[in-house]
Amino acid sequence: MAENRRTVARGLRRLPRRGQPTGVVTRMDGTNVVLRRRAKQFTLFRLGLGIDMPMLFLILTLLSVGLVMLFSASYAFAYYNYGSSYFFVSRQGMFALVGVLLMLVISTFDYHHLHKLNIPIFGVAVGLLTAVLIFGPLLKVNAIVPNRNGAYRWINLFGIIEFQPSEVAKFALILMFAHLISVNGPKMATFRHGVVPFFGILGLVDGLVILEKHVSATLIISLIAVLLMFIGGTKLRYFLIIAGLGALALSAVIFSDSFGYAMDRVQGWLDPFNPPADVDTWQTVQSLYAIGSGQILGVGIGQSRQKYLYLPEPQNDFIFAIVCEELGFIGALIVIILFALFIWRGVYISLHARDRFGTLLGLGITFQFGIQAILNICVVTNTIPNTGIALPFFSYGGTALVMLLAEMGVLLSISRSAPVEKT
Amino acid sequence: MAGSHTSKIWRKTVVITVLLLVLGFGVVIGNLVRWQIVRGEELRMDAVDQSLQSTSLTPMRGTIYDASGSKILAQSATVWTVALEPRSISVDDGDDVKIAQILSEELDVDYSTVLEKTHQNSYFTYVKRKIETDLRDRVLERLESEGVGSGVMMVEDYKRYYPYGTTASTVLGFTGTDGQGLAGIETYYDDELTGTAGRIVSAKNSLGGEMPFDYEQYIEAQNGYDLVLTLDETVQSIVEKHLQAGLEACGAQEGGTAIVMNVHTGAIIALATKGDYDPNDPFTLDPAVEEKLPEKADEAVQKALKKEDEELALLEFYRDIAISETEKKEAEENLRAFHRMTAEEISELREEEYDKAYSEAQNKQWRNKAVSDTYYPGSVFKMFTASAALESGAATLDTSYTCVGQWDFNLPGVDPISCWHAGHGLETLSDGVTNSCNPFMIYLGQLMGPETFFKFFEAFGFTERTGVDLPGEAGSIYYDEDELGVTELATESFGQNFAVTPIQVITGICAVANGGYLIQPHIVDRILDSEGNIVRSAETGYKRQVISREVSEQITKILLKNATSESGKNGYVPGFRIAGKTGTSEKIAEWEQAKLEDPDAVKQYIVSYGGFAPADDPQYALLVFYDEPQIGTASGGAQAGPYFAAIMKEILPYLGVDAKYTPEEFENLAASTPNVIGRTIGEAKQILEEGGFTWSVEGYDGDNEDAQPVYTQVPSPGTEIPKEGNVALFVAELTDEDYTEVPSFVGCSLTDCEYLANLADLQIVITGSGEGYAQSQSVDKGARVKRDSVVTISFVNDSEIETAAD
Repeated sequence: MAENRRTVARGLRRLPRRGQPTGVVTRMDGTNVVLRRRAKQFTLFRLGLGIDMPMLFLILTLLSVGLVMLFSASYAFAYYNYGSSYFFVSRQGMFALVGVLLMLVISTFDYHHLHKLNIPIFGVAVGLLTAVLIFGPLLKVNAIVPNRNGAYRWINLFGIIEFQPSEVAKFALILMFAHLISVNGPKMATFRHGVVPFFGILGLVDGLVILEKHVSATLIISLIAVLLMFIGGTKLRYFLIIAGLGALALSAVIFSDSFGYAMDRVQGWLDPFNPPADVDTWQTVQSLYAIGSGQILGVGIGQSRQKYLYLPEPQNDFIFAIVCEELGFIGALIVIILFALFIWRGVYISLHARDRFGTLLGLGITFQFGIQAILNICVVTNTIPNTGIALPFFSYGGTALVMLLAEMGVLLSISRSAPVEKT
Repeated sequence: MAGSHTSKIWRKTVVITVLLLVLGFGVVIGNLVRWQIVRGEELRMDAVDQSLQSTSLTPMRGTIYDASGSKILAQSATVWTVALEPRSISVDDGDDVKIAQILSEELDVDYSTVLEKTHQNSYFTYVKRKIETDLRDRVLERLESEGVGSGVMMVEDYKRYYPYGTTASTVLGFTGTDGQGLAGIETYYDDELTGTAGRIVSAKNSLGGEMPFDYEQYIEAQNGYDLVLTLDETVQSIVEKHLQAGLEACGAQEGGTAIVMNVHTGAIIALATKGDYDPNDPFTLDPAVEEKLPEKADEAVQKALKKEDEELALLEFYRDIAISETEKKEAEENLRAFHRMTAEEISELREEEYDKAYSEAQNKQWRNKAVSDTYYPGSVFKMFTASAALESGAATLDTSYTCVGQWDFNLPGVDPISCWHAGHGLETLSDGVTNSCNPFMIYLGQLMGPETFFKFFEAFGFTERTGVDLPGEAGSIYYDEDELGVTELATESFGQNFAVTPIQVITGICAVANGGYLIQPHIVDRILDSEGNIVRSAETGYKRQVISREVSEQITKILLKNATSESGKNGYVPGFRIAGKTGTSEKIAEWEQAKLEDPDAVKQYIVSYGGFAPADDPQYALLVFYDEPQIGTASGGAQAGPYFAAIMKEILPYLGVDAKYTPEEFENLAASTPNVIGRTIGEAKQILEEGGFTWSVEGYDGDNEDAQPVYTQVPSPGTEIPKEGNVALFVAELTDEDYTEVPSFVGCSLTDCEYLANLADLQIVITGSGEGYAQSQSVDKGARVKRDSVVTISFVNDSEIETAAD
């Protein structure tokens, strides 16, 4: 039965509606007992049907550590710029609360419904990306799409919430790919089913994101897409097409006018302490100062020196540098281990999901989370050139946090159906 | 099929996950190890460096007081540096124009320059340094009333003031723009005066704002220590006044110097060098000096041109005498290649030479000759030779020698040394000194021998720097004991052929005067902190005893006699028992050097007078010397002596040395006129008669003298006039007829002077012995003065005093 379920692509269709008979069992005494689908379980701690407790524990731990560090990292910046040390942490805390509640609600929601929501969500994501481009570079309506450092990546809805549509696009793409792969099944090996729609969708999303000049998001979306396709069964040789296209793009850059500047950027990345004249490595240098200052045991929580306006916006992408400074190598290692455990648990849950849709959806969410965390820390430690990537659970951004926790809700929802030890 | 598909997903996922974890986190952890553990300390230091900003708190430089402790010789005051912050100037509001307008009007800077600065793309730019506080207030007030809110900054700074101007300038020195001492005491005591800069060490955020916790530390600026000098401003001014007068009289082209020292403590009471400057404006030259600079530059250019001509002539000569073709060709080639200076190069050279001359002149005016220049002490040194001879026992007061006008070495190939006099005949040691007889000194030198002579030379401190607390003390130049041959010993015995600094000589004079102790000359008496506590006091101990008290007293007696009646009598001051010795020395080595370049070079001299007073209880020593006098015959007695006397006469009463007159001195004494203005003529007559003066009434024919008040008197009250001199009483305002023209007395004998004075209705007061001729007069000739005014005339007598010994 279980085996059968997992191999059936669209699991939702096979499930009867609540209260409908699912089968009939004939007792020894000849009476028939009609089996019905049980009412939704809100029990959190029930083996088999509850949510995965280690995952919940990891999420809440990361969230708590993230909030504490956000407060520590942001209070000087908040004090100087907004007059209140609590400016960031109070907002982030509220969003976290909303996010956790949303996560728990979503975790009770059968993720198979997402099959139906797939197209609308994708449509919304593409719509939002297009809206950014229309209200941003095209119309320059700052109230809806604010210009931040020359880039248009944010959208402001009714003056209430503000977020990056690329975040929505990430989830929409994961969902779309998980859906397509689970429907395609063995057909994934073919060019027609396993390559064309995927590259088509990826091309559309990437194209819109790259028009926002959002390189890091493009990179992450592409990476997740490639991983999902690979796991889903797309033949390895088709990826050569991407490699070829990538090489083409790279050569275009090399022969373009901006190549000199790009080389200077590389130079600045390789030796941030002596950058070329036109490259600003201030942020990287300050980040390294912060990391170095932490040494093994750190300067102690709240004691960071670098957050005093040296490290620009320490509450955002470079928050991990403050973690390194205040908690030292040991503290940073513990945070990294938490992230690693999260990835491990996410993968574990996904692989034990009831069906392939759950597996791929879970893996997509887990990888998105993992890739962002790793790339963020890579940027902070100058392992890769500086590009804007937020650290999940740590970096400031209320809407982003709520979306992230919502995704966690989906992951937990998947875990409900996974037959694994959950305590 | 399905199963294998699932396990494929598993495998792929596991591979990707492991890669992600191992590669991703592996690289990240590796980098963290690199930054936090390997390079952690280095980065931490860099981070601390950038955030630990220390704001320097400038300490106030210490004040320099004179010996009285109340007169301020040098003081720092707060001034302001005007700077612009162009970035915060609002051009839209027209602030740039307003700022340029106000600053150019108030600060005497160019309008367009300031306007340009307001448009600069920078955060900070200077406009003018060191303006006074009231000017700053005015500028700020105007800016405010014009509504200029931001953009102009006033930065606090300090400026050094020298209230007495040129007085003691070469001693005090001056400071540079950053307040660092550049010369004189300002340099020597720079560390003490500077103080310690305070610091606010605080962790700053990147905007320079202070971080709100922990890291701040406030170290208060320690203001510089104050110095109290031994130098007395009153004495210094007197010394400078007379030194300058003497300098002008003899036209010494290398300047002159005078030192007053307490013989017991080594405290320098005055130290003057003329040809000096105003430390408030140290880089400006005396206009008279500056005037001559183009001439000097021209001379150098002419010299260069002449040299060029000579070289050219030489090349032409080579061409003309060339024999072979190749030689001729080569010579012609050289001639063609010869480069003559173009007009442009010549003017460039002139400019260069001018700049050189300018900076040389600056250095010269800053130079403290008393410690930085060496000179040949000449006959002043004879007191040391005599002291050494007496102390060593090589001679006694009864030692005698017959001077025949020259000293013959009786050695083949060694020329005899002449005395300045044709032959003093038989002399005792006392005569030898008072006659300033060279052969006698040579005789004493030979009696002692080089070993003993050098022992005392060394003991008097002529081989070592005195260690006076002034910068740039020069070392002396002399023959070492083993280099002292017969001729060297002979010439050194009478003060030639070695060079010492004036400060060494006066320290030696103090030893002769104070009973034989070589004291430590010093100019800073005590160093005070800002609360007035003494941080350090000068050590007044002596270094060693050079001669016994007995010898000291013997030599003092000889010098007293010398200054009263013999060769040193131009330094005589009635009542003050001056002991002194003249000195005239030749700059022989320099002359020989100059002759190499210019065969017509003239031999230059140094004239000096060194002595102390009072002889019965020596208190103060004084050395006056002029370098290269150009007017009149070079003579220490004639050219330095009168100014030595003039200085002593004025400073000794001030320094609390009472005059004790001999009966005959009392006879010649000048007296001070009483004040009778406003009294009736009758009363005035009575007062004047009581004071021993005569009187005359001008412009009054009436007979009611007891009712007629005196409108004015000539000479004015308090003037020194000859004893029994005349005081003219006027009953009405002076008319043109009451004035007379001062004749020229210079060069006249006493009788002639009296005649001229009589003719012009003037009274004269004589300084010096009154023998010989008048050398200078206190009021310039041709000046219109009131009838019966007093003119002081300095007399010199060079008939019986040495001139340069050859």
